[in-house]
Amino acid sequence: MSTPFLNPKHRLLRRTVRAFCEKELRPIAGQIDQEARFPWEVVEKMARLGYFGIQAPVDLGGAGLDAVSYAVIIEEVSRVSAAIGLCLSVHNSVALYPIVAFGTPEQHRRWVPDLAGGKKIGAFCLTEPNVGSDAGAVAATAVPTPDGWLVNANKVFVTNGGIADICLVFARTDPSAGRKGISVIVAERGSKGFVVGDLEDLCGMRANPVSSIRLYDCTVPKDNLLGSPGQGLAIGMAALDTGRIGIAAQALGIAQACLEEGVRYANQRQQFGVLLARHQAIQMMIADMATQVEASRMMVYRAAALKDQGMPVGLAAAQAKLFASEAACTVSDLAVQIHGGYGYSKAYAVERYYRDARVTRIYEGTSEVHRLVIAREVLNG
Amino acid sequence: MSLNSIVCIKSVVLSAPDGVGRRTPQNSDLNPFDRPALEAALRIKASLGGSVTALTMGPAVSIEALAEAQAMGVDGAVLINDPSLAGSDTLVTSRVLAAAIGRLTPYGFVFFGTRSADSDTGQVGPQTAALLGVPFVSGVKQMQPASDDWDITRRMDEWEEVWRVRLPAAVSIHPMAFSPRPIPLAGIAQAHDHMKVQSWSLADLGLPADRVGLAGSPTRVANLKKVKRQRTCRMLDGEPREQVEALVAYLGTKGLMGS
Repeated sequence: MSTPFLNPKHRLLRRTVRAFCEKELRPIAGQIDQEARFPWEVVEKMARLGYFGIQAPVDLGGAGLDAVSYAVIIEEVSRVSAAIGLCLSVHNSVALYPIVAFGTPEQHRRWVPDLAGGKKIGAFCLTEPNVGSDAGAVAATAVPTPDGWLVNANKVFVTNGGIADICLVFARTDPSAGRKGISVIVAERGSKGFVVGDLEDLCGMRANPVSSIRLYDCTVPKDNLLGSPGQGLAIGMAALDTGRIGIAAQALGIAQACLEEGVRYANQRQQFGVLLARHQAIQMMIADMATQVEASRMMVYRAAALKDQGMPVGLAAAQAKLFASEAACTVSDLAVQIHGGYGYSKAYAVERYYRDARVTRIYEGTSEVHRLVIAREVLNG
Repeated sequence: MSLNSIVCIKSVVLSAPDGVGRRTPQNSDLNPFDRPALEAALRIKASLGGSVTALTMGPAVSIEALAEAQAMGVDGAVLINDPSLAGSDTLVTSRVLAAAIGRLTPYGFVFFGTRSADSDTGQVGPQTAALLGVPFVSGVKQMQPASDDWDITRRMDEWEEVWRVRLPAAVSIHPMAFSPRPIPLAGIAQAHDHMKVQSWSLADLGLPADRVGLAGSPTRVANLKKVKRQRTCRMLDGEPREQVEALVAYLGTKGLMGS
């Protein structure tokens, strides 16, 4: 594939990440999905190579790469294991990034080197049982006390929840201020009252330990407030702008994997005496898949490139996330269709891709919320 | 004791071109046989100190192979790039590399991959060593300092030889011997954001144009065409044990399996 958005650095990155993932992740990707197991043995290697601090500054232990690099890395990891791509995307863009962007120098010293080095894993705790798309309705509370913040929260569907050490918890610090009364408190695993709930038994992304995280009268130091009181939703939205590029890149990686498997199968399976690839019905599917993948790639890289140029990225990121996640579902559906009955079997990887693709239309903002965001920008200019 | 090493690397063509191919970043990559050579040099540097310089001759796209070497951890990178080098055969390539190595003194080892993944001759390493007048050991799997000399173990099919050589010397590294390190992401950022490639032309090497390129090459590629290999299928008869014995015997006569 060639694209005008990539420079020599990105090309070397793609080759390097692809080689690593083919060697280390490919052999276990199906198995960790079936066992719903988080592969520490590979994750520790990724941590040493810098995958947990992709865009963090070099002087804080990060790799110091740009947003296009970040998109390429998430795409390539997700092409092999979307669940590990998800772990990296959430850790890098909605846990580590907000700390880098909104943290004080002291908070940088406390958390960034451990997060960037993958010694600690980050999580983003916004969703609650009754708070999904309506992020402003957060019910979790953080009350200032002489000892710090007294936090009570019931956070669900926390990506990386089962392994996270550093959690950005969205909690109400001013009950009377509505959307402006929500703040981000950084809670660390091991604090008294910090409880990791059972892992979710999910349809896809099964190698990621998604869990609930509950804080029962958990006292968090005063200095663990990220940004200023009431800035929570603003921090969350800034994080999600970046996060959307990651999830879009993840959807792109899944779609790319589906295209490759579809092409491979079409070139080996015969029906009616000729390869599937010779049947026009299959050719139509392959053409649609390739086009959807390439369109997703352009949108994802464009959003990342805009971010690198310091341009407003909200609309481009929302469009990329909406398009790439919908495309991943379409393309994975076609990949299963090309495989016929085999595609519905766990014997073939497209079965996993089909399950993994589905959630990209739901998390970090549903497709419907993204359409609202896009419509608002387009209508109001 | 610290040791300066030079690793000669090549940016190879990934897919065989029809006729003369144009080199693009998309169809070029660092020769995979060169990665173990870089790894061997970097491990010697890690244990003894010194420096590692990656050296390549080729079109401008070769700079991406040098960047990968930098991301792996080499200290310096040199690109020999000159329009008059086009069409150089392995002898000229060796002549140019030898001239460049002459400018990188003092050095202990010159490393090569055993061969290139695209043209597959395996000639450049030994020819360069001959032009430099230094000992050359091929297919090396281990290198140990032994007082003033080095004990170099080379691997062949089912044999190992140990050669004692005095430096400076040249080696080609066995492709299975030194598993190349995975490249850290920060190394990639570092290699590209702080690219420090020296670019040398023919004039820098003091070589006249008629000694290089097509003009200076005693051999030239007259024709290049794709070959489709014939695949045959042979069915084996008999009980499973007889079939296995027949298969093992066949693979043995083909030299694909030890007896």
